[in-house]
Amino acid sequence: MENNGWSEFEIGAMLRSFEGPATNIATTHTEDRNYSASNSFTASVADWRIEKPVFNKDYCIDCQFCWIYCPDMSIISRDKKMIGVDMDHCKGCGICVEVCPTNPKSLLMFQEQHDDEVALAEWPEKETKEK
Amino acid sequence: MAFDKMELRDIEVWDGNFAAAQAMRQVQIDVVAAYPITPSTPIVEGYAKFLADGYVEGEFVMVESEHAAMSGCIGAAAAGGRVATATSSQGFALMVETLYQSSGMRLPIVLNVVNRALAAPLNVNGDHSDMYLGRDSGWIQLDAYSPQEAYDLNFIAFKVSEDHDVRLPCMVHQDGFMTSHTAQGVKTFTDEVAYDFVGEYKPMNDMLDLDHPVTHGVQTEEDWHFEHKARQHNDLMTKVMPKIQEVFDAFEELSGRKYNIVEQYDMDDADVAVVCMGTSVETAREVAKEMRAEGIKAGVVGIRVLRPYPFAQIIEALKDIKSIAALDRSSPNGAPGMLFNELAGALYNTDSKATLSGYVYGLGGRDLTKAHLTDLYKELQANADAGKVLTPLQQFIGVRGPKLTFL
Amino acid sequence: MSEIKKIKNLKEFSTSADRFEGANLLCPGCAHSIIVREVLNATNDDLILSAATGCLEVCTAVYPYTSWDASWIHIGFENGSTAVAGAEAMHKALKRKGRLKQDRDPKFVSFAGDGASYDIGFQWISGCFERGHNMMHVVLDNEVYANTGGQRSSSTPIGSSATTSPAGRISYGEKKNKKDMLAIMAAHGSPYVAQVAPNKWKNMIKAIQHGFEAEGPVFINAMSACTTEWKFAPEDTIAISDLATDSLVFPLYEIIDGQKLNITYRPKNVVPVEEYLAAQGRFKHLFKDQYKYLIKEWQERVDQKWDYLQRREEASV
Repeated sequence: MENNGWSEFEIGAMLRSFEGPATNIATTHTEDRNYSASNSFTASVADWRIEKPVFNKDYCIDCQFCWIYCPDMSIISRDKKMIGVDMDHCKGCGICVEVCPTNPKSLLMFQEQHDDEVALAEWPEKETKEK
Repeated sequence: MAFDKMELRDIEVWDGNFAAAQAMRQVQIDVVAAYPITPSTPIVEGYAKFLADGYVEGEFVMVESEHAAMSGCIGAAAAGGRVATATSSQGFALMVETLYQSSGMRLPIVLNVVNRALAAPLNVNGDHSDMYLGRDSGWIQLDAYSPQEAYDLNFIAFKVSEDHDVRLPCMVHQDGFMTSHTAQGVKTFTDEVAYDFVGEYKPMNDMLDLDHPVTHGVQTEEDWHFEHKARQHNDLMTKVMPKIQEVFDAFEELSGRKYNIVEQYDMDDADVAVVCMGTSVETAREVAKEMRAEGIKAGVVGIRVLRPYPFAQIIEALKDIKSIAALDRSSPNGAPGMLFNELAGALYNTDSKATLSGYVYGLGGRDLTKAHLTDLYKELQANADAGKVLTPLQQFIGVRGPKLTFL
Repeated sequence: MSEIKKIKNLKEFSTSADRFEGANLLCPGCAHSIIVREVLNATNDDLILSAATGCLEVCTAVYPYTSWDASWIHIGFENGSTAVAGAEAMHKALKRKGRLKQDRDPKFVSFAGDGASYDIGFQWISGCFERGHNMMHVVLDNEVYANTGGQRSSSTPIGSSATTSPAGRISYGEKKNKKDMLAIMAAHGSPYVAQVAPNKWKNMIKAIQHGFEAEGPVFINAMSACTTEWKFAPEDTIAISDLATDSLVFPLYEIIDGQKLNITYRPKNVVPVEEYLAAQGRFKHLFKDQYKYLIKEWQERVDQKWDYLQRREEASV
């Protein structure tokens, strides 16, 4: 759809979410959907991020707080398990990190350019609460 | 819920409002969202009574304003079905925002506009201010001069508007009170014939096709807006007139009643011509005949399709005329009248040597009398004889006080 | 009537497949999106959606992209409710005439900001509710015209600094109290109105599902903490929302059939209003000596409202 001329699009500026019929979308996950080129799922906002969340599954308890509060549908959960972050759609807001209840957290923010492997190697130890 | 067919006589005595309401019943509209306003109220009331008597199967949504009426029509049309409503004047003005939205979203909606003046000062009578207000809104505008035409043009409007190559909303105009409240004989169709002419609604990009979700009413900024507006203009300029002509032809075949994009009366050998709209066309036709008895070869041009503007048809109709009057029934408020400007725009690059003079008349329901038109034709003949306009280019006729002319 | 989606706990809820997509243009940390997700994921039924002009609309349907996986319409600022009402009327008509392409009953939902609901769209919503369309109107209540840069609406609370009611040398900002939309919509005889907040997701899902099951127009006022206009860091959206619900500045309750009021969330530990105010830039000026009395007044107002809600609940009216 990049910069099409006036005669090259659907009248009324109408957009379709999917290519072809899309039945049972409410129970079909992204990987099984036939998105149209005009679905924003096909776009990326990765370049919005200054910091990125890094996921450390060693500490995750699959509570899904990050999933429910993610404003960008970027916490990928399947079969009740948190499996990763959708880095095309994450804007780096950091909510997932804030709501993560584990100790140490299972998600932490790092500079966008920071290497994930290094981040995981540097993961903080469990904090002992001061009374 | 079953609904009943209505038995009609071949010729019924209907006013323009009831004729429009009957047409709306016969095309079996799926959703009417409406709000009453004088003088179009009886259309909405008529439809409501059909519903109450079991003659209508669709939904009738009695909303809280004209803006909501058109908003509901847009939602319903985008959902995917036949949609229509009616309004006048202030209600039309309140709708204006949504008129642009419905045409930009390419939704086929039929709007019966019973023409009425715009306040202030408040006035309930017929002039063309509301019709003129709609002329840049991207709608198709058809003008009926009589109850029969109000009936007929409704069927034509649905058929043109809903065509998948067109998909543009359409107004059917008639003059407030003079047409809307004046009962005349109207030749009717049976319910079957009327419905079959328009045909079953064929959905397109419909929201209610639940397996094909669509997004309607997007935002476009400087990178896309121009292309979308250009597309709409292109379709109005190239696709609508041929479709209207095709439907006019089909309608003539069905009914024997012939409509033209630009109507011409006594124009074959005319030297002078009045160009006007609405009920004034009938008055002018009568006067033109009388002028011919006085040796003035007078003709009348009625604009049947105001939008898209019949540029080529106007040029053709006026090509041999020596002197033309443009009659505008709306205050131009600081400019020449719309018809004056648009006739001038059409004729300017042609070989026409015709004089063109503008007249503003009939505001707020003021009568245009035969005497006015007799004087007017005489002025035109004088202009034709002199080969130039002898009067000011803009004259007000029928207004009290010192003669009011400009330009 | 379709089956209610079973959502026992968050793990089960997390198996939902979103019908709202990423790479929309909402600010990082925007609560609008969290609200939309909770509403849409509360059902597996088909959806017909609308949005009034506002942040949600301008950020989710900018050509050539849409972020919506269900049919969606936007017309203008004031008429999103009526857009969906028109579609609902069409569904009714086509169902009656046997012309639906799929004989299913979608849920009709209109989203609108507080400006589009409390102010410019008020009449349209009132009309939809009076007529009894089978629809849900969800207010994304961020208490300000955020899309246009932070002008006050009739939902902006006293003491908030908005661009058209700015705090200044001689002004503490907005002078009028927030309009009580829930009471107004309940007075329409709506079968269900509720005030919800996305941080209390379970409470919210329950309200949305209750609303989806109701016959007739349902009004949901959802608190939408706005990182940009309330002036807090994007990662704090849920923390700020917790302060709002736990200080009772934003009490969660429902009114059934325009009559019976139930409080749906009672914080275990009520937080002082001052903490809620202190966490946001829009109230920063209230902590100057000259305006501190307003914080006390805020607390009194919140206590009074809470007392009123409790008395109504107790009296079952």
